[in-house]
Amino acid sequence: MTSIPPFGGFGLGLRKTHYADFLDGEVEVDFVEVISENYMMDGGKPLRVLEEARAKYPVIIHGVSMSIGSVQGLDGDYLDRLKQLEQRIDPLWVSDHLCWTRTSAHNSHDLLPLPLSHQALDVVCDNIDRAHNHLGRPMLFENPSSYVTFPEDEMAEWEFLSEMTRRTGCYLLLDVNNIYVSAQNHGFSADDYLAGLPLDRVRQIHLAGHTPRGERNDFIIDTHDRKVCDDVWTLYGTARAMIAQPVATMIERDDNIPPLPVLMAELDQARRLASDAMAGLSA
Amino acid sequence: MTASHTLLQAQQAFMAQVLDEDQPVPSHWSPRQAAGMDVYRQNYRSAVVEAVVSTYEQTRQWLGEAAFQRAAIHHVIAHPPSGWTIDDVGGGFDQTCAQIFANDLAVAELAWLEWSMLGASRAAQAAPMSMEEFGQETAQFGDDDWANMTLEFLPGVAARELQHDLHAMWQALGAGLQQRPETALETPRGCIVWREDERPTFMMVDAANVAALQSALAGMSYGEICVLLAGDDADQQALHDAAMSAGAMLGQWLQESLVVGLNAKI
Repeated sequence: MTSIPPFGGFGLGLRKTHYADFLDGEVEVDFVEVISENYMMDGGKPLRVLEEARAKYPVIIHGVSMSIGSVQGLDGDYLDRLKQLEQRIDPLWVSDHLCWTRTSAHNSHDLLPLPLSHQALDVVCDNIDRAHNHLGRPMLFENPSSYVTFPEDEMAEWEFLSEMTRRTGCYLLLDVNNIYVSAQNHGFSADDYLAGLPLDRVRQIHLAGHTPRGERNDFIIDTHDRKVCDDVWTLYGTARAMIAQPVATMIERDDNIPPLPVLMAELDQARRLASDAMAGLSA
Repeated sequence: MTASHTLLQAQQAFMAQVLDEDQPVPSHWSPRQAAGMDVYRQNYRSAVVEAVVSTYEQTRQWLGEAAFQRAAIHHVIAHPPSGWTIDDVGGGFDQTCAQIFANDLAVAELAWLEWSMLGASRAAQAAPMSMEEFGQETAQFGDDDWANMTLEFLPGVAARELQHDLHAMWQALGAGLQQRPETALETPRGCIVWREDERPTFMMVDAANVAALQSALAGMSYGEICVLLAGDDADQQALHDAAMSAGAMLGQWLQESLVVGLNAKI
């Protein structure tokens, strides 16, 4: 299996609202990321737009429906269509989430949590091996945000991710907001989480906003519908100071999408924090 | 029982909890776990209902928000999704509308139109056959060649018979539904949906045209379509008239760039 060389840069999600801006080629980003499933069709405007964007920017394809944690395995049709998209676009890399979304009968279209058990780890690793073999390239997997834990848990999430990368050769998409969300929801230390990860396997970082929910705001939800909060920026700075290799950083915004300059301002903040962190690393 | 079998059962049970808000959580779950499950349930419900909303914007406008939401929620409860693409959540919504709004079947036909337009919008690209190309391909055809000819159509072409005037409904919706048109047709007609460049579109045609197109899409030969149009026990005049009708329909399909190729089985 080939390796994924580090790629440093700052990017945004390619969303319909901003298609025209990106196709003009005037947006100062180093890459764009798209949701794979929105382009895994036979033809039409979205694919044409993506191909035009690909001519101007490196593209990352990021999935939400591979269901890498499903005991019943991966969907062959899904893998075939993802492979077609991968061959059509030649992305920087292909990513998905550490979660499951389907049984043989139903699909939740939401990222459901796995017990952090050895059984689940075996399932995930077998499925990652199959995905790698099908695509002919290693993937990145993103740490999820979660809202339940299980009595069957046998390890911390960072231990699960570490073992997963060691056994399969996959890479990590580090979602700093998801670490913050899950740490708040489950009461663990975000710093411990970062310290326990094989950070040399990180190739990309996601930053996003979240929303409190519940009668006493007792959960925070990974909603991608508002700006990145101060605590998440702080955690991003911490993560960047711990990661030696270049990584690709992007702002994820999927709802209440603001005008492009608002997102570019957030991306500038990421640039400044990364620059500060790298200066600290080299000092 | 194997370890993976245990995890399989756990995933099936978790999925059942997510899909059914009324199902009580397992008794050994803590209040915190139950509250976490509520987050997944809300995420699931809002995602799948939003998927129906985004596919059926015109049906939503036609029905009004409250009636549409009721129908969308009924649909996702009755037909929880199984495919990997969330676009498919809206599949079969026309049938749901036919059940719920049985006294106003225009709603179901409008929903069918929107679903068909979504299908056309994401279908594969294909170059239509021009009149000139068709003429060149068939220039040397004899009677048997014509009778055995089958046609290939643009991917995503859909057709059905209609009891309601979708064209008038669509126009009224485009004008903000300031005036509701008369929807019932005196005699059934047909609707053909396809994609022009990147834009899905449709036209209303005679019901016989739709029957012929559906047969052609299913692989029926031109000769068989002529016999179909002529009807049972057709005499020579009826066969002649049917051939004329089929020719006019073929001309319209070519004119609208629906045909991408032909096969002559000798």
